[in-house]
Amino acid sequence: MSINLDQAQQTFIVEAREQLQAMEESLLQLESDPGDDDAIGAIFRAAHTIKGSAGLFGLEPIVSFTHIVEDVLDRLRNGSVEVDAGLIAVLLKSSDHMLELINVVANQGAKLAPPALAREMELCQILQEYQTPSPVQAPKAAEASDPQAPAETRLWHIVLRFGPEVFRNGMDPLSFLRYLQTLGEIIHITTLTDAMPSAETWDAESCYLGFDIEFSSAAGHGAINEVFDFVREDCQIQIVAIDDPVPPMNTGLVATFQEQDDPNTAMVTTGQLMPDQRSAARMPAQVTPDKQPATSDGKAKDGAYVRVNADKLDELINLVGELVIASAGASLLARHCNDDSLQESTSTVSGLVEEILDGALRLRMIPIGETFNRFRRVVRDVSQELGKDIDLIISGAETELDKTVVEKIGDPLMHLLRNAMDHGIETAEARLAAGKPAKGHLHLNAYHDSGSIVLEIADDGAGLNRDRILEKAQERGLVAPGASPSDQEIYNLIFEPGFSTAQAVTNLSGRGVGMDVVKRNITLLRGTVDLDSQPGQGTVVRIRLPLTLAIINGFLVGIGQSTYVIPLDMVQECIELSEDDGVCSREQGYLDLRGEVLPLVYLRDHFNHEGPASRRQNVVVVRYAELKAGLVVDDLLGEFQTVIKPLGKLFGALRGISGSTILGSGAVALILDVPALLTQIAQTDNRYTTPPLQQATVR
Amino acid sequence: MGAIATTRQAAIAVEEDAQYLTFMLGTEMFAIGILCIKEIIEYGNLTVVPMMPAFVRGVINLRGAVVPVVDLSARFGRQNSAITRRSCVVIIEASTEDGHAQDIGLLVDTVSAVLEIPASQIEPPPSFGAKIRADFISGMAKVDGKFVIVLEVDRVLSIDEMSQLAQASPTALEVETQ
Repeated sequence: MSINLDQAQQTFIVEAREQLQAMEESLLQLESDPGDDDAIGAIFRAAHTIKGSAGLFGLEPIVSFTHIVEDVLDRLRNGSVEVDAGLIAVLLKSSDHMLELINVVANQGAKLAPPALAREMELCQILQEYQTPSPVQAPKAAEASDPQAPAETRLWHIVLRFGPEVFRNGMDPLSFLRYLQTLGEIIHITTLTDAMPSAETWDAESCYLGFDIEFSSAAGHGAINEVFDFVREDCQIQIVAIDDPVPPMNTGLVATFQEQDDPNTAMVTTGQLMPDQRSAARMPAQVTPDKQPATSDGKAKDGAYVRVNADKLDELINLVGELVIASAGASLLARHCNDDSLQESTSTVSGLVEEILDGALRLRMIPIGETFNRFRRVVRDVSQELGKDIDLIISGAETELDKTVVEKIGDPLMHLLRNAMDHGIETAEARLAAGKPAKGHLHLNAYHDSGSIVLEIADDGAGLNRDRILEKAQERGLVAPGASPSDQEIYNLIFEPGFSTAQAVTNLSGRGVGMDVVKRNITLLRGTVDLDSQPGQGTVVRIRLPLTLAIINGFLVGIGQSTYVIPLDMVQECIELSEDDGVCSREQGYLDLRGEVLPLVYLRDHFNHEGPASRRQNVVVVRYAELKAGLVVDDLLGEFQTVIKPLGKLFGALRGISGSTILGSGAVALILDVPALLTQIAQTDNRYTTPPLQQATVR
Repeated sequence: MGAIATTRQAAIAVEEDAQYLTFMLGTEMFAIGILCIKEIIEYGNLTVVPMMPAFVRGVINLRGAVVPVVDLSARFGRQNSAITRRSCVVIIEASTEDGHAQDIGLLVDTVSAVLEIPASQIEPPPSFGAKIRADFISGMAKVDGKFVIVLEVDRVLSIDEMSQLAQASPTALEVETQ
């Protein structure tokens, strides 16, 4: 059982984090629309669920803190507290603190660090201001630790019938009883065993037990009822106060009881015989419509999603990759056999395999929205810190991309956003002076575009200062004096290492580390980033990413017996190199491409392939950033969608080759790393050509 | 010195009756403990990886996994093995220093046999004179009155060392200047 509980606790941690995420989103939603009852409900439910499940695991610090938060939220829901900026701020901080508490549990740590405890005290104090000073609240806050509040203590009769699925759903009936004890005292308990089947039909994984409990507690009906929130769906629960029954309410109880006859519906029986001050606000009739949609939502979610270990998924995708390769091999063989029916069947197989591949890859795709929503909080906090009024507009949140990419793009995006808020958007005064609305806007957008995904971060700030960047760049020697680069080229200079035009270093940005890191991270994901700016209108940063890291659209080329793959998005065009041209350009090292000088890279020489070059060679024109070159190869073999296989540590030092893939024939082809290849060649060329020049000037 | 020799013998004594794969490199016979060997395949279908030192012959497709092939002869600082009909690739599970396992193919001229060599028949390695690096040798086994060099696979196929060599190799121009 303890192992089971450990697993369940892991689930609790994961779910609690999700709940907190949802809570934060709803809080931000509430901030922009204070009258949003749905948001309040969602926040309350999140806090409540966390408290409830934390109680199941006996995580006292979480329960006690969340309890205070929940109280405030309850009052918010009743309308006895108004939504204001201060409340939202303290609730956001509380949700941060709850996350911290959960992290402590996740790390198996025993206690919070002292500064966090101090923070908790502070939060509690602020929260208490929102708690009602009325006497009803006082015993309630104390009820967990102080069950003998004599005026309120009443006797309840609780009939519990756990459903057979309780164990399988990961619940331990005992933990509910344990949690119940935090509300009061169990005076008498009878275990009901009448549902126990004979030994032959007895299933060890099913729960057949029920309990009859005499319970003395100060808590109201609602509070006791909440204890069983997590098993309500498949259990029968009756909670009746036994002091003095009131007939009219009794008929109500019978009515709800009759509904339970349908075994498929939730088996909840709620009875409230003794109205008291607290429970009056939570009559069953009120609670039910409030709760029911929540549980059905949760159910729909459970049905629509399956939690799968990411490793299992990777394994599957790897296997599917093998399948693609194997089926390509089979079709190749079938083509040699001249057997029509065999060819037909292999082509059907490869069609299906391709669909499986697409499906398998889609399994890894998650919407970017979750990452985007995280930034709402960042934008809110940063804009307050900067004293600017900034609105974040999100669109395209449903755009899906690979999980790995989503995980790795968070930090670069965060950096770009902070940058846009700090440097891009001006202060309200400056904006008004420029004739713009005082409120700044940040637009985060995602969309699919020809096999890749584009993320756009647009601000309506001042735009980049072209002249300042150029000046800085010349100062740092990034641009040769006298050169006249295009605006686009100048703007992209800000991605150079150590480049910052900010006069002052703020604690947000301005240190000049960052944009180059952003660019490097994006390049690592096989993506590109570029930037567009209109003075006075704003700046747009566009990040273009591949949909997945596992598959590459490649262009196959042959050099002698070897095959290489060039990433297709780098290929611009292919031209044939006639024999005469070949001899001529070989001497020059470049080619005249419609009036443009195209430097050539003889891959055969570069890679030290032996043997004579074929008579008819081809040039593949590749482009990366500002570098454009022609790769001279023997054969063009066409496009190929392929699964990337890393080469391993042994080849870690290898520049110009990023990985490998397996062709249909079973042979291994190497994937060219065009950016590294071009940079490497540019560097070696410089080394060979610059020294003589310097010598010449010295002389 | 004597203490070291006895501990070594004691260590060998534990793995008594260990089995070894013997193979030829040119005219010389070598042996590898059989436990780290996954399989032996015929040489073929190798893709040359450019700009790597001579001892890295290239990569092969081993049922969907891309496995590097190391030319053992070149690794010992000799000529590259000539490919013959009997050339074989011995697939070995090597581990990097950070504990990750990686399969590596070992190109050898001929695979001979799997032998059971009693620990008593294995001598400690000579400190010099074997014409290969002393730390590559785990011991000298006596088989049919002749000495067979038992290789220390972890050292011979040390991925960390080999990748450092790859970095220092003269063909990796860019790295050299950094």
